Amino acid sequence: MKNILLLEDLPEIRVWLRKLVQQVFPGALISESARIHDALELVSAIKFDLALIDLGLPDGSGVDVVTRLRDVQPEAQSVVVTIHDDDEHLFPALQAGAFGYILKEQARELITEQLQRISQGEPPLSPSIARRVMAYFSAKAKPQASTMPHVSLTDRESEVLLRVAKGYTLPEIGVQLGLSRHTIADYVKQIYRKLNVSSRAEAALEAQRLGLFR
Amino acid sequence: MPLHLTRAAAGTFSPRQPWWLAACCALLMLLGVAPAVLAQAAPPTATSTATSTAKPDPAQVATPTLRVNTALSAEGDGATFPTTGPALIVPLPDDWARTRPGSDGPVWYRVPFQAVGVRERGDLLALYVEHVCTNLEVYLNGQLVHSGGRMQSPLTHNCNHPQLVGLPAVLIAPGLNTLDIKVAGHALAEVGSRQRAGSLSALDIGPQSVLASRHARQTVLNIAAPQAVSATLLLMGGFMFVLGFINRRESHLAYFGALCVGWAIVDARLWLRELPVSNPVAEFLLCAMLGFITLAAVQFLLRYAQWRHRWIDIALPLQCALMPLSLVIAGPARLYPVASFWYALLALEVMAAAAFYLRRQWRTRPGSFWLMAGLLSVVTVAGAIEFVAQKLGLRSVISQIAQIVTPVMFVLVGLRLVQQHGRALQQAELGRAHLEERVREATEEIERNFLQMSELRVEQVTERERKRIAADLHDDLGAKLLTIVHTSDSERISTLAREALEEMRLSVRGLTGKPVKLADALGDWRAEVVSRLAQAGIDADWEAPEDLPQTLSARAYVQTTRILREATSNIIKHSGASQSTMRVTIAEGDFQLVIQDNGEGIPLELDGRLDRGHGMASMKARAKQLQGQCLVESGPGYGTVIRLTLPLNRAIEVA
Repeated sequence: MKNILLLEDLPEIRVWLRKLVQQVFPGALISESARIHDALELVSAIKFDLALIDLGLPDGSGVDVVTRLRDVQPEAQSVVVTIHDDDEHLFPALQAGAFGYILKEQARELITEQLQRISQGEPPLSPSIARRVMAYFSAKAKPQASTMPHVSLTDRESEVLLRVAKGYTLPEIGVQLGLSRHTIADYVKQIYRKLNVSSRAEAALEAQRLGLFR
Repeated sequence: MPLHLTRAAAGTFSPRQPWWLAACCALLMLLGVAPAVLAQAAPPTATSTATSTAKPDPAQVATPTLRVNTALSAEGDGATFPTTGPALIVPLPDDWARTRPGSDGPVWYRVPFQAVGVRERGDLLALYVEHVCTNLEVYLNGQLVHSGGRMQSPLTHNCNHPQLVGLPAVLIAPGLNTLDIKVAGHALAEVGSRQRAGSLSALDIGPQSVLASRHARQTVLNIAAPQAVSATLLLMGGFMFVLGFINRRESHLAYFGALCVGWAIVDARLWLRELPVSNPVAEFLLCAMLGFITLAAVQFLLRYAQWRHRWIDIALPLQCALMPLSLVIAGPARLYPVASFWYALLALEVMAAAAFYLRRQWRTRPGSFWLMAGLLSVVTVAGAIEFVAQKLGLRSVISQIAQIVTPVMFVLVGLRLVQQHGRALQQAELGRAHLEERVREATEEIERNFLQMSELRVEQVTERERKRIAADLHDDLGAKLLTIVHTSDSERISTLAREALEEMRLSVRGLTGKPVKLADALGDWRAEVVSRLAQAGIDADWEAPEDLPQTLSARAYVQTTRILREATSNIIKHSGASQSTMRVTIAEGDFQLVIQDNGEGIPLELDGRLDRGHGMASMKARAKQLQGQCLVESGPGYGTVIRLTLPLNRAIEVA
């Protein structure tokens, strides 16, 4: 039995998503919301296993809900469901703790498959996101950032990221590295997690710095 | 008591030395009047020397010059020497203030002299009176032979004019002759200066040629030099005054100008003979004038030292009013003592101001201290000489030179001021030019910055507008298309809507996009094409070089993505292929992409062309937009080969 949050402002799409989620997770309890404010109230009231969060909402950005979920329900999986496929929109959500993203206009079957994979722990990762993550971690590796809490990628994780950036699919990378598809998926999950941890540490440090200056 | 014009009297020859003349010439030369002076002064010098060198050889001297040092004098206003009243023998020079205090004449002087053989030799005899105040008439043997001008008030002022009187030979008797001189003048108490009190200098009787040259020399010193100096002062003073008046920050120039003009006017007393006013009025005006001159001098020194004080600004004009008032109260009969007191006070004020000025100058600019110190001390020495001369009643050559030296010093100070002013002007001009240069540079920089900023602003505004349009498209058009995608019953319509959505996103990215690295673009394309084909169960073989340094413009990236997407869709939907290869090569600055499948190929239409439903036309049009080309080779049963060639450099440029 799963508790699922569905945050989407377009009524038709919300209906369509609900039907889809019910199909993938039969018997799941689905809480729907069209606004951030309502979603945050739901988050403080109900314990969710999965949250499908739209980014562009009438009263703000879905990133706030991702952050709140990460803070109060760390075991809940946030998945960004969006019409934006560019990393400028997606990267902040991933930093806030989203566990992958789904592009809304994809075919029903594709989304179904992705949802299943996500629930099995295999989040999607596009080349442009991979490049962005690489750039993020390599900037952190510079000496002047030594005061930062040190979160870095392992060689394997970096290897996987590099191959994703070059356009290889996860199964292809598995074959190339002689690893199972699940192991590769674990690396990806780990990368997402480290991105979130690092970002949170940075945010904390920034808050501390501002506090010192006050 | 007759005097004899004998050779024994030669011992009374005037002991004139030419040294002071040289000094005077040197000073006047500074004024630029030297040529005129030289023309007049040089011959007398020569003559004077000749006279004295001739002295040891008496045989060659025609008639010696006789100096008369005593005379019989009596007061009387008649037409002849008064014989009724008391007469006394006085030494010459005779100051009335000493021999007849309080008297204001007229006074007669009688001088007898022997003229031996004058007629026989045909000499022209003359009487030379170096100084007489205020005017005189000369009678020879009872005959009027000379008049200096008006003998009634207002008297003709001859105090500074040496008199040369020709003694006609026909009137000279062989033997004893009588020379009567009637002098009209004023008592010392009625005049402001001892030089203008009634007096008569020693007399010289001798050959006219000798005396004329002495007369000419003395005239230069007493009349011509003061005139030249006065004219110079007047011109310079006027110039300075206007300069200082225009430029209020240099008020010291105006005061200096006033000082010069005032001094020039006061100096006019030396050579102006006929005044339209009576003596008391003239003396009063002259004394009052000195108050103003002092004001100008003190203020000039203080302002020049860049210092001013409100009390001094008030006190000096007050003094200018007080001084004439005290003179009026004292009355014309007590003018001299009151004026003397004022002179001393004024001199002290000026000296104090000069000391103050020099002290400040020493502190601030020791460099120019010595020049002004020298000039001011010369003026002080001249003033001291004048003061002593007033006290002792001397009429020496030195005191006469001192009178000229003061205005000459003024001229020098004026030149110094002009030099400073000119230099300041030059500095200001330079400063202004420098400033203009700076302003021009600054303006250019501002314009440049403004241009940059406006360009930046245009970029920012454009960027913001692009983002706004992108957001609008996503929110509005995107949402509607998405709704169609997921709510349409028709698979065809939802596919079309999905494709429209993809197109929209690509367009938006093209709007907001920056150049894309070719390596990144290849990664994106590979991920999309390979995963799509894999999902469709088609084998995909992607070959591309790695680590390419080139970039693609956002538009080239978007258009190539569309071409690739279209080609991939064709393979998945229409070809029925089981295998496909994508090969990317870079050759001679061209980007080439070859997409090949082993499918059925594209069927020909009735007109023998390839089926347009496969989007071939739009692929070609897009390639053409990028200055490239897209070739399609296909035949039923032979699969399809699409060759896309783009010039890389131009693809970058076409933004």
